[in-house]
Amino acid sequence: MNNSLAKRNNQGWLFIFPALLLLTLFLFIPAILSIYYSLTNYYMLAPQARKFIGLLNYVNLLKDPIFWTSVKNIGQFVLLVMPLQVGTALGLALIVRKKRPWNTFFKVAFFAPVVVSLAVTSVLWLYILNPEQGILNSMLLKIGIKAQPFLTSPRQAMFAIIGLSAWQGVGYQMLIFLAGLQNIPNELYEAARIDGANKWESFRHITLAMLKPTSLMILTTTFIDAFKLIIQPMGMTQGGPLNSTITPVYYIYRTGFTDRQLGYASAMSVIYGLAIIIFTIIQRRITGAGGSQNV
Amino acid sequence: MSDHPKKFALTIISTILITLLAFLFLFPLVWMIASSLKPEAEIYKNMDSFRAFLPSFNIDQWGDAYKNLLSRFTVLTYILNSLFYGLSVTAGSILVNSLAGYGFSKFKFKGQKFIFGLLIAMLVIPGETIIIQKFQIVKALGILNTPWAVIFPSLAAPFYIYMFKNFFDAISNDVVESAEMEGAGSFMIYWKIMLPMAKPAIATVGTLSFIGSWNDYIWPLMVLTDSSKFPLQVAITNINNTVPVYMNQVMAILTISTLPLIIVYLFFQKYLVQGLGVSGTGEK
Repeated sequence: MNNSLAKRNNQGWLFIFPALLLLTLFLFIPAILSIYYSLTNYYMLAPQARKFIGLLNYVNLLKDPIFWTSVKNIGQFVLLVMPLQVGTALGLALIVRKKRPWNTFFKVAFFAPVVVSLAVTSVLWLYILNPEQGILNSMLLKIGIKAQPFLTSPRQAMFAIIGLSAWQGVGYQMLIFLAGLQNIPNELYEAARIDGANKWESFRHITLAMLKPTSLMILTTTFIDAFKLIIQPMGMTQGGPLNSTITPVYYIYRTGFTDRQLGYASAMSVIYGLAIIIFTIIQRRITGAGGSQNV
Repeated sequence: MSDHPKKFALTIISTILITLLAFLFLFPLVWMIASSLKPEAEIYKNMDSFRAFLPSFNIDQWGDAYKNLLSRFTVLTYILNSLFYGLSVTAGSILVNSLAGYGFSKFKFKGQKFIFGLLIAMLVIPGETIIIQKFQIVKALGILNTPWAVIFPSLAAPFYIYMFKNFFDAISNDVVESAEMEGAGSFMIYWKIMLPMAKPAIATVGTLSFIGSWNDYIWPLMVLTDSSKFPLQVAITNINNTVPVYMNQVMAILTISTLPLIIVYLFFQKYLVQGLGVSGTGEK
């Protein structure tokens, strides 16, 4: 140990200080605040009336039908968008990987929606799915299918949001699957062919087996990200019709920011945040160190 | 071989299928761009024919929606705002996170292990659920409705710090020690030697933070009230809600806010895939 190393000891603090300050302000304190507020009746317009009310917010939350509707909605979203998006991504990656003319065009075509932000996606699809003047219904009418109330029907609205979310995100996962496919050495397929394996067998035992880490990573990150759904329902349906597209994160936003019920919104943040944290920890366990092993 | 005709037919069928699929993926975007290049009435007239996906046949009309959009709204301000926020967040997050990554990698100080552990633990906090409380902090700091409210909370990120730390860990300590022998100060070593070596990490963090900032919608919507400070993503909603609403103008603003991202994706695709581990899937 020399002198300079000793001197470097305390300088380390200087280097981490800016990041530490910002993280404390905008991540750590808000997380602590949400626990503290959740035990109060904090109403943003009457901050001086804030007082400790124990677990009352949590008790009310358990009895809140809108909260349970939002939980049911997000469950439906997660369960349907996961297989749809990940399955399509794998299928597209397998198709695009093969050598065929125009291959680059197809790759770009499937990736293109990724470039569109969720704010743009929401407005664009609002026009595409419009019941009277939307292009999708105009085309459906042309082939003899009657106009559908995509976003105005409580039975269809969530399915519409699932569809356009998958459309927007699938190209990115296709790219990840493609990277995974590139890592499978060709010799494996040749060896399998010599051993007399048919196409299905080599797909199952080589492609799928070798893609397992990639698939696991994609499945778990999609799963957790899907729980954070907010922009599409916020921009397209405002959670309606009849709360059929309200999600927990959107309900937190509405309760805390629009209705200014900060105490109640905080209780929701704590409960829902904890649920996501538990899923994240399970994900880390399943995939090893978490996403970072891919960097 | 009797196999060949069968194989040929299969190739044709699969090519037709994949072309249809590609059309399914592209039609919203083609429709968006085509609709921005024609008069409002023509959009409605073309809705159920192939012409919906073609711009106006009269090239002189192509710029009309854009011209009218620019005269009704301060689009240029929105673009400049988005660029300003995006570039500030990019530069700031490269600086703040690389400093911290370097601090954790090349220094030994008391409490280091604990703080780093805390940082890794913070990775699991879902930021989406604490935006209301974050808003309270920004309000208490008195920076609501200023660019700082948009920029500051987006700078430090445990994942980026972790990436930089890993990168610096891979660089031998000898580099630092020999520079110290020459009498260089710690910050000089970081700025002149280490940071220039970290270009791949810088590119990845920079690409991800620029895209993240450019696409951010809910946070700037919450902290900005003055529309002259809006970034494009927030302005879109404004434009789409200001009557009279012209569909071709809406499609024009959607196209305008998508174009810069196409450029970023084209040039920085490689770094995106490198950082894909955490940034995930696009549902938010």
